[in-house]
Amino acid sequence: MTRYLIKKLITLLILLFLVSITVYSVLFVLPGDPAQIMLGINATPETLANLRAELGLDQSFWHQYTDWMGNLLTGRGNRSINYDMPVYDLIISRLSVTGPLALMAMVFAIVISIPLGIYAARHQNQKGDVSVMFFTQLGLATPEFWLGILLILLFSVHWGIFSAGGFPGWSVSFWGSVKSLLLPSFALGVIRASILTRLTRSSMLDVLREDYVRTARAKGLKERTVIYVHALRNALIPILTILGLQLGQLMAGAIIIENVYYLPGLGRLVFQAIGQRDLPVVREIVLFMAAAVVVVNFIVDLTYASIDPRIRLEKM
Amino acid sequence: MKRLLLLMLSIALILSFGNAMAAVPVKGGSLIVCQPAEPPGLDPTGNTAAAIDRVVFSNIFEGLIKVNSKGEFVPGLATKWEVSPCGKTYTFNLRKGVKFHNGESFNAQVAKWNIERAKDKSTTNPHPEYFRGIVKIDVPDDYTLKLTLKDVDALFIAHMAEGDAIIMPVKGYENTKSNPIGTGPFKFVKWARGDRVEMVRFNGYWNPELPYLDKVTFKFIGDASAQIAALKAGDIDVIGYIAAPESAMEMSRDKRFKVFSGTTTGEVIMSTNNKAKPFDNKLVRQAMACAIDRQAVVDLVMFGYGTPIGSHWSPSTPYYVDLTGKFPYNPKKAKELLKKAGYPNGFDATIKLPAIYSYSKRAGEVIADMLGKVGIKLKIEIVEWGQWIERIFKKKEFQLTMIGHVEAWDIGIYANPKYYFQYDSQEFRDAYAKALKAPNEAEKSKWFGRCQEIIAEDAVNGYMFSAPSLPVMKAGVMGWWENYPTIALDCTQVWLKK
Repeated sequence: MTRYLIKKLITLLILLFLVSITVYSVLFVLPGDPAQIMLGINATPETLANLRAELGLDQSFWHQYTDWMGNLLTGRGNRSINYDMPVYDLIISRLSVTGPLALMAMVFAIVISIPLGIYAARHQNQKGDVSVMFFTQLGLATPEFWLGILLILLFSVHWGIFSAGGFPGWSVSFWGSVKSLLLPSFALGVIRASILTRLTRSSMLDVLREDYVRTARAKGLKERTVIYVHALRNALIPILTILGLQLGQLMAGAIIIENVYYLPGLGRLVFQAIGQRDLPVVREIVLFMAAAVVVVNFIVDLTYASIDPRIRLEKM
Repeated sequence: MKRLLLLMLSIALILSFGNAMAAVPVKGGSLIVCQPAEPPGLDPTGNTAAAIDRVVFSNIFEGLIKVNSKGEFVPGLATKWEVSPCGKTYTFNLRKGVKFHNGESFNAQVAKWNIERAKDKSTTNPHPEYFRGIVKIDVPDDYTLKLTLKDVDALFIAHMAEGDAIIMPVKGYENTKSNPIGTGPFKFVKWARGDRVEMVRFNGYWNPELPYLDKVTFKFIGDASAQIAALKAGDIDVIGYIAAPESAMEMSRDKRFKVFSGTTTGEVIMSTNNKAKPFDNKLVRQAMACAIDRQAVVDLVMFGYGTPIGSHWSPSTPYYVDLTGKFPYNPKKAKELLKKAGYPNGFDATIKLPAIYSYSKRAGEVIADMLGKVGIKLKIEIVEWGQWIERIFKKKEFQLTMIGHVEAWDIGIYANPKYYFQYDSQEFRDAYAKALKAPNEAEKSKWFGRCQEIIAEDAVNGYMFSAPSLPVMKAGVMGWWENYPTIALDCTQVWLKK
């Protein structure tokens, strides 16, 4: 286990280093001068030169890269050009929106998909299964933003139960914050549930055909025990894999939904930062996203082992 | 008869009384204003982004001179100013008893320091040239500021009334980007990045009657349909500045809301690279001007909101000359001009449109259709904003593009042959120099008018329309500006009808 952890950690560090070089080079050659974008199209060349010097944009590639890395490693951090605050704090404050949003979306996705998938598998090719498959197909074809707008029209404009978007902040109002995340996380969750439902169904169908399920039934176990203890546990591995990928994706920010509900999340931050060439922000968020995906996958790996004792982490 | 007269009189009295009642502003209340773009920092002297000025200028910060809703220059931190007969010396009488939000006092020394900072060598003020003409700053007493210019500058007062010329406190200026401190009617409270900027009434404001509101929040919602949904759901009170024109029409029919359609300082133009073939040929540019039906552009792109223009000058800026009649829509004449220019069968060209501006993309499509009818086939290329800045603006790798120029009084860009559309005309430069040195109103009007005519005649760029101001708000929001003669969403005199 320890060896496995160390191996994973080293992989993570190498990966982050490679990502940092790649991100830095790509952004370095990316057209669009941050200083010019800040100053706009009427600024004088002199002002532009002054700002470029202030931002350190007149230095060489390696000078800028080592400066940046140095700041990161020594914990001094880098500052956002536009927001005038440490990028680290910015990411933390955005994570307090994106994190709960992603988790709530996954809760919605799991609560909807697992029971529906099991139900569909147990009633294969019957009416219930067909309608579940129909609706999941519909869910897969539905664009997130459209569902988001529809929910706003219904719940905010028509009924006035929820606000149309925005985020009050956890310290201002806890329940207000939860409430403001409900609609967007539902929109995100429903779409992801469509994939998971289909996956649960097919995975369950595979397992239900296995010999040990027949044996379990033959020895007179209750159907519930057969399904939830014997079958589901074994069907979970592929579901968990996809779940992990989805969560990693969501942690990186749900750009479109965050725009529709104007939530100050990570996705909107990086989107805006790219447009305005707030490069310190873009770099660090990309690094963070890479790390998030690796860490989530790592957690998924750990859960494999707890679900299926045959899987030994040392061998992975 | 007498009774009838009495009845009519009393009705008239009641009506006028009712109107008077409605017009008396009420103090208190909080207003949430939606602004599409989040400002990149809150310092108007470090960045030209209009989003910054719209939030902080006139609300948190003030300059010596203000612009009122009619576009007139009115006293700000200066109560009065005089120009010497030679036109080179300006004497400002400064307002007494003005405090900054952090308690510092405003006086002539503070004003002097601000001007020196703006014209300093290491300045990052986007417009140091506004201040560079000042060769001498005298402070005869604490409340008098005397500025001596090298030359007469007809735009000096106009520039002193812009966001680049705000007055900041000497001690509390360092963190302006994230913690702005000014003398304005509202005091900065908080900037929740990505979401909103909050400000509250400044009780020490020099005008004790103002502001009316207790609190103003600027909320940043980029998506046009999300803005409308938020207004309908009651999350915001005003979509400041401009709502999507297609929804403005719908909202104007709803009694709960009102829509203003006014003017701004901005001009939307089809910028044309005057050094790129075949656009270096004046006849080609004139042919394009004839091939464009400006009213149709306004109708199709802006749903009828906006005013067609014939030159680089907005109808809301003084000295405007209506030149829309210079090249009226006439496809036949356009074809003739093309033939004369040596392109009887037209030609192919590319128009690069910045992705972030929907008006620009829509206008590009409409123009492509119009020019196609006279034989100019346009290929549309959508360009990300950073790329636009790099490739089109800096490297001038373009033939045509579509963009709004928001600053007032910016016709001077045509005097710079290195500016991205690369217009090079000695005649214009002479006229502009004369306009800047005009000693009186009549001369200013004459030469600024001449400037507009020269570039209209040369058809330097395709002049489309002056961007409308299209704020949409709840019916109870009073005192919101109908026109935007300056770049600010001034909430000083806004109040809420109970």
